[in-house]
Amino acid sequence: MNTNPAFESALSLGGVSKRYGATRALDGIDLEVPRGSIFGLVGPNGAGKTTTFAITCGFLRADLGSVRLLGEGPFDPKRHRGRITALPQDAALGRDLTLADLLTYLGQLQGLRRRDIKSEVERILNLVDLTDRADHRTRTLSHGMLRRLGIGQAFLGQPELVLLDEPTNGLDPRQASNIRDFIAAQRGTRTIVISSHNLHELESMCDHVALLDRGKVVVAGPISQVTGRNEEVSIILAAGPAPLAEVRTALPGDTIEWEEGQRILKIRFAHSADRQPEDVIGVALQTLLHNGARISTVSRGQSLERTYLELPGAAARQLPPIPPEAARSAGKNG
Amino acid sequence: MLGPTPLRDTYLVAGFELREMLRSRRAFMVLGLYLAIAAVATYVFVQFLAQLQTVVANPATLMGPPPNARAGTTPTAPEAPAQAAVVTPAAPRQDALYGRRSPFRGMVRNMMSTPELADFLLNLPPISLFYFTTSLLMVPFLIMITASETVAQEHQSRGVRFIALRTGRVEFVLGKVLGQGLLMALVTLCSGGMGMAIAAWKLQDFDFMAALDGTLLFWPRLVAYCVPFLGLAALASMNSSSVVSARVFSLGGLVAMWVGHQFARSYADTPYETLGNFIDHLTPYFYQNDLLYPSYQQVGAAAAALVGLGALYIAVGLIFYRRRDL
Repeated sequence: MNTNPAFESALSLGGVSKRYGATRALDGIDLEVPRGSIFGLVGPNGAGKTTTFAITCGFLRADLGSVRLLGEGPFDPKRHRGRITALPQDAALGRDLTLADLLTYLGQLQGLRRRDIKSEVERILNLVDLTDRADHRTRTLSHGMLRRLGIGQAFLGQPELVLLDEPTNGLDPRQASNIRDFIAAQRGTRTIVISSHNLHELESMCDHVALLDRGKVVVAGPISQVTGRNEEVSIILAAGPAPLAEVRTALPGDTIEWEEGQRILKIRFAHSADRQPEDVIGVALQTLLHNGARISTVSRGQSLERTYLELPGAAARQLPPIPPEAARSAGKNG
Repeated sequence: MLGPTPLRDTYLVAGFELREMLRSRRAFMVLGLYLAIAAVATYVFVQFLAQLQTVVANPATLMGPPPNARAGTTPTAPEAPAQAAVVTPAAPRQDALYGRRSPFRGMVRNMMSTPELADFLLNLPPISLFYFTTSLLMVPFLIMITASETVAQEHQSRGVRFIALRTGRVEFVLGKVLGQGLLMALVTLCSGGMGMAIAAWKLQDFDFMAALDGTLLFWPRLVAYCVPFLGLAALASMNSSSVVSARVFSLGGLVAMWVGHQFARSYADTPYETLGNFIDHLTPYFYQNDLLYPSYQQVGAAAAALVGLGALYIAVGLIFYRRRDL
């Protein structure tokens, strides 16, 4: 856990462990979530994502380790009320009040001013597209609508840290897209931690990510680093020449790999201020085209999904270690 | 951002609890259940009173022939009022029933710890006394069945997680208990009204205002009596993960309290007396009789003890609840 006061961390977990009987749910998790970031928490079922959320929110007590929220220690309703909100997984909102009454109640408990509550409730209902349902009871809502209401209540007021557990689960594509756009627009204004199985979604929204497996952080850091976006270029060639020797000559010092079956040329390079991925792509393409190769696809790094799928096994250990600056900003292996 | 206070949060949670109960008709279910039981019990009692009125109207069946009649002498001064009450059709039947020489009065005086208490109770309308004594029996069960689910339900649905980020666990529980307390106050008041309505319908010469006075005299005492049971229900509820287990624990707790009270009574004047007394002081049953007394000081002390006992149960529950996983 980072103890440097100059470092702005919205959430900091240090060696957090939790057991349920004989099952070890979390095994010494270390995690740093930078302020203002959109942070994705990825892992298979049972990896410990929901337990991490629950400990962060104070629903569960950690057996070991420390939790610091907004630089002020573990969750305390007196200290963090209204500053930290969450969409818990599988939690039911009150069933017999109207949406407007329920949000008003939550807003009041959160400490919103009475005169601000009405407009705030309207804003939230509009945000999750439930304005026309304001006077309906929550039990009349569909699963997707309840999910949207759950997301909405997490954005009541001006929370500094929002934890969303599977926020778009059960939403139709249009609603999911709206929610993603809204979350992406929050970047820089507040910290959002999202747990999801939808890796394409996380990749499009998040700037940092941590991959959990069996209660441990397997890898964490800026998403560009985790997916190698700034250190790897893949070029798929169409049938025809594959001038690998020329590319190796043009990019001395870089690692060049060729997958014959899929005709993928992978170039791994050291990223620096003087040498951006675009520079590498330019040199590689120029060399390939000059030598008669036909380019099918060019991509940077690998998808989060591919990174995730490769992680738990031996391939996971082939990922490059997280550089010190990334470890400082986004945790390290547990 | 306002600086929310524990009291404000407790009030908000209580208000939400009441509103949700009303919206979900849970409140009406509790009220309906209690009123139905109260109505049946009151109806039976009122029928009994009506029969007594009939019996009282015929002095021969109640007290046998007056002694002076048998002796052929003139009635003496102290006996005159009772006899007059019995034979005068316009006289209140209750007075006749409770007349100085009536066997009922004698029975009550023998049952009560002091003659003053017996006289105080006998001067109250019987329907008010009935309301109070039957409520003392019914209220604990009703509370255990209905109030025990209030916090446990939130655990079962995990709805508590939306609240726990916005207020403390203590405020949450106290708000829930307060909401249930307000509901019980309303329910017990309504059941008193129900009793009076049935009595007014079935009894001759029913003195509505006297019964209202009596009911309002006992109602606050009844509310105080509810508090420890609400506390016990909350203790069970806040430390249960499901509604069913909360009900089982709270009813088990109720039985345990009753057994403790009986233990204390059975082991008086034995080496276990001190232990029995200690246990008895921790049960609401120990303070129950004090609520009948005319002295406000005595009643106030009993009510304070009951409220304190409720607070103790809640505090014990909170010791565990503050540390439990939600």
